[in-house]
Amino acid sequence: MTTRREFIQTLGATGALLAGLDACGGGGSSSSPGGGTPPTPTPTSASPILVIVNIDGGYDWLNVTPPNAGANLGVYQTKRATLGITNPALLTDLGSGMALNKDFTGMDALHALGHVAWIPGIGMPNPNLSHFTCIDLWGQGAAVPAGNGWLGRFADTAFNPSGDVLRGLTVTPDLPVMLKGATRSFVSITSAGGYVYPAYLLSTSTVPDATTLETGWGTALSTSSADPGILAAAQAGKLFFDAQNNSAFGTGGTLTARTPTVLYPGDATYPVLKLSGAALSTSLSSQLKLIAQMIAAGLPAQVYFSRLSGWDTHSNQAVDHPNLQRALGGSIKAFYDDLATITTTAGLAQDRVMILAYSEFGRRVQENNGGTDHGTAGLAFCVGKSVKGGLYGGYPDLTSLDSNGNMKYTTDFRSLYATVLERWLGQAATATDTLLGSAYPRLGFL
Amino acid sequence: MADLTAITSWALADVQHFARRAGFGLTPADAAVLQAQAPGAAIDAWIDGTGTAYDPAAFNAALATADVVLEPLVSANTAVAGSVDVAAVAAPHAFLVQGTEAWRNNLNTAQALLAWRMQHNPHAFEERLALFWHNLFATGWHKVNNTALMLKQIQLFRSQGLARFDDLLVLVSKDPAMSLWLDSVLNNAAGANVPNENYAREVMELYSLGADNGYNQADITQLARALSGWSYTFAEADYIQNPANPGQKFAADARFKVYDGTAIAPDTRLWWGGAATVSSSQHATSTISLFGQTLDVTTTANGWAKGENAIRSILSMKGSNCAQFLARRLLTHFVTASYTAQDQTDVAALIQGAAFDLRVILKTLLKSQFFFSAASRYALVEGPISWLVRATRMLCPALAAGSAQTPKGYPAWRLVTNSATTFDQMGMKLLDPTGPNGWKEHTAWLNSNTMRYRAKAVAALALNETRAYNGTTYPLFPTSVTTDWFPAAPASAQAVYDRLAALLQPAPIPASVSAAWLAALWPTTFTWDSASQTKARELAFLILCSPSGQLY
Repeated sequence: MTTRREFIQTLGATGALLAGLDACGGGGSSSSPGGGTPPTPTPTSASPILVIVNIDGGYDWLNVTPPNAGANLGVYQTKRATLGITNPALLTDLGSGMALNKDFTGMDALHALGHVAWIPGIGMPNPNLSHFTCIDLWGQGAAVPAGNGWLGRFADTAFNPSGDVLRGLTVTPDLPVMLKGATRSFVSITSAGGYVYPAYLLSTSTVPDATTLETGWGTALSTSSADPGILAAAQAGKLFFDAQNNSAFGTGGTLTARTPTVLYPGDATYPVLKLSGAALSTSLSSQLKLIAQMIAAGLPAQVYFSRLSGWDTHSNQAVDHPNLQRALGGSIKAFYDDLATITTTAGLAQDRVMILAYSEFGRRVQENNGGTDHGTAGLAFCVGKSVKGGLYGGYPDLTSLDSNGNMKYTTDFRSLYATVLERWLGQAATATDTLLGSAYPRLGFL
Repeated sequence: MADLTAITSWALADVQHFARRAGFGLTPADAAVLQAQAPGAAIDAWIDGTGTAYDPAAFNAALATADVVLEPLVSANTAVAGSVDVAAVAAPHAFLVQGTEAWRNNLNTAQALLAWRMQHNPHAFEERLALFWHNLFATGWHKVNNTALMLKQIQLFRSQGLARFDDLLVLVSKDPAMSLWLDSVLNNAAGANVPNENYAREVMELYSLGADNGYNQADITQLARALSGWSYTFAEADYIQNPANPGQKFAADARFKVYDGTAIAPDTRLWWGGAATVSSSQHATSTISLFGQTLDVTTTANGWAKGENAIRSILSMKGSNCAQFLARRLLTHFVTASYTAQDQTDVAALIQGAAFDLRVILKTLLKSQFFFSAASRYALVEGPISWLVRATRMLCPALAAGSAQTPKGYPAWRLVTNSATTFDQMGMKLLDPTGPNGWKEHTAWLNSNTMRYRAKAVAALALNETRAYNGTTYPLFPTSVTTDWFPAAPASAQAVYDRLAALLQPAPIPASVSAAWLAALWPTTFTWDSASQTKARELAFLILCSPSGQLY
């Protein structure tokens, strides 16, 4: 009998496109969560929200979902003699020769619910081992990268140029290339407490009011200055001004306060801790809490961006990696549960949100002394009630690595984007292909 | 093409352009003094720091004794480990982050120290250059976890930032903070061990060549072998402990050492604080093949690390690639982001022609017709820290005068860095970039969040914000509108604007905008009274927050 994994592997490198087709996805029986009948996904929301979780630094997903059977396991045991996670007691079997590290807090529960689509081996042709080159390529997500990002181009198409200022938000202080469009950019909001000018700027004192302040930005934009620096400053300032004055914010530009009833990693009584016994990092959990607060407050955002850094585990992986997994998985699970407590005007938040987690690359199969160096193919995953859980694409063949000892990709990362744009963000098929510059096969999880 | 011939005369606007880029600006009066000198000699002195104008004696004296910042644990509550009631302790307090205070390992205090130095160092170029190298060799405190070693690296940039680039590259490769940051201390390639290639990759991709520019994966692995075992030791005396809590301890200084199994100096600790008489054996004793050449990298008996030759061969074998890389970085920071391919090639030729001598390169570039051309003027968005520092240099009193103004003597950068993580949110977390690629410059400095926090920072400066701390209220940036900004009373609203524009030096602001501002602030008559002086503060805020105000 041919198992599904063997089937995918027989496709080889040239089967990468096929492996991305619906026929190979769909949470087939060999990988159905929990081993039973796949659950019926919730229909895609009419008001869908996409939450990006950027796993920054190139995470060692081989230790998150390691191989647990067949030839892949043998290679893994040899090349990960020290760092490999092979003890079955530390793993949940996902089927198809793939297991889930129990340090990935909460993800086994989400998987058992049938709400996680795993895409191991996601990557690109001619992979690059540079963080920054790969971050750029993943951010741009185009057949021919031209400087702006796939979600920025979506914003160019879908957002009202003179409104919709809060429709795309990042809760990171920077603006990743993924969110940069030709004409629209996302707003960066890092705190709930007063996305405002100093309060006195809005008072009626002698201090200049916001309109006076805006004169500088508005004039610079309306005179269509050719100076890129002036334009960038004016756009940034105007976005700041418009966001601050958006009625979705409460009085004084502050979001409605909210205390989650769900515990997040780093909360005082959150049950999972670092290996050392210290509290987990709140870096991602605080961002996802803020996004939950924004959703609860009724902000009209359709796309949110968040990030957990620290995954560049060249060293000290045995300690850092479990801690990071606990923070990442725990934060996603907490956020997912939290969304079930939020009712928006467009329905239950949990029905509206899909989480997409990705990293710029995976890491070298062969460990170094205490860590892993840069590699190629990664693991992306999507979480949501509308997601048909299971394994999509093929697990890379560890017996057939490239000349640098890195994995060959099995699913083009732009197939993930195409699937999300068309089946989650509601773009027409042709518009989706235009946004990406080519017709990439869709994955079957939506 | 980039005309790299030197200018022979300069106008006041030229001097101010130079001072903004090669320092943190000059007031109109100071710029006039410099303009009186011939540009060639004046620029040499500015860069070299020679002459009375750049004499650091008074600055160093103030730095050594000044109670210029506040420690976050400043408190009379001695139950808090490490707390200190500054007011009750005899001066000098300095910055409570160096020397015997290194155990405090406080990032915000170290940031405040750097910002204070930028504001007051008479040899501004030294700080500007350190800032440039800090971005290029971006090293982050969150992993190094040692402010003393971070500051040691910054001092390396000050002292060696005008050396030959290959010498600088070797020194950075041996720098303790860098060794921790990119795992050199864990690069064990002895025997059959697989090297850690973190530093070997980034030294080429980020620090000398650029991604995929003249090297391949095999070169990375080979270079990693050459640099294996590169680490450091420190003397027992450098091991600084919190007297109240011996568990809190940091190496305040350190010395390069290859961990090759040989003896280490007596009374010396290993890089992680362990005591030993010999180093562990992590160094690959072999030859490597790098860029097609064979190099013996075995460290010699006297400790000479021949892997240094592998670093130097980045320039000797890939000089053209390296020069192109360096040209990009120098252009984008000092001249313009809108350079042509020919401009880059011309600057790269300058770099190679000068044999990578950074002093020659920077002097030539910063005296050039290209640098002073109209197209280079206001062609860059300024990074947020130097942008804020420049505003303080223009609006705040000089060091000597400032000491009398507040109980703490000087603008309280420590309160600023402790306030809503302003540096972080402005987009430049000084001493702690997220990754080894540092910060993208020019328009990448700006987004809605960074603009928000730029506004917040200059509100503190221009609008005279205060912070209450331990029962005392401090002005964040103490300045006097009448003494510091307008020693001569302005006769009209336009005169207020003209003086502020001359101080703050924004890119040209459309007349319609400035007219709208003045009309909003002074709708009827103008009198230079306290109300107008408050409005002058508001006008300074408007200029600093405007699009033109972000350029330099």
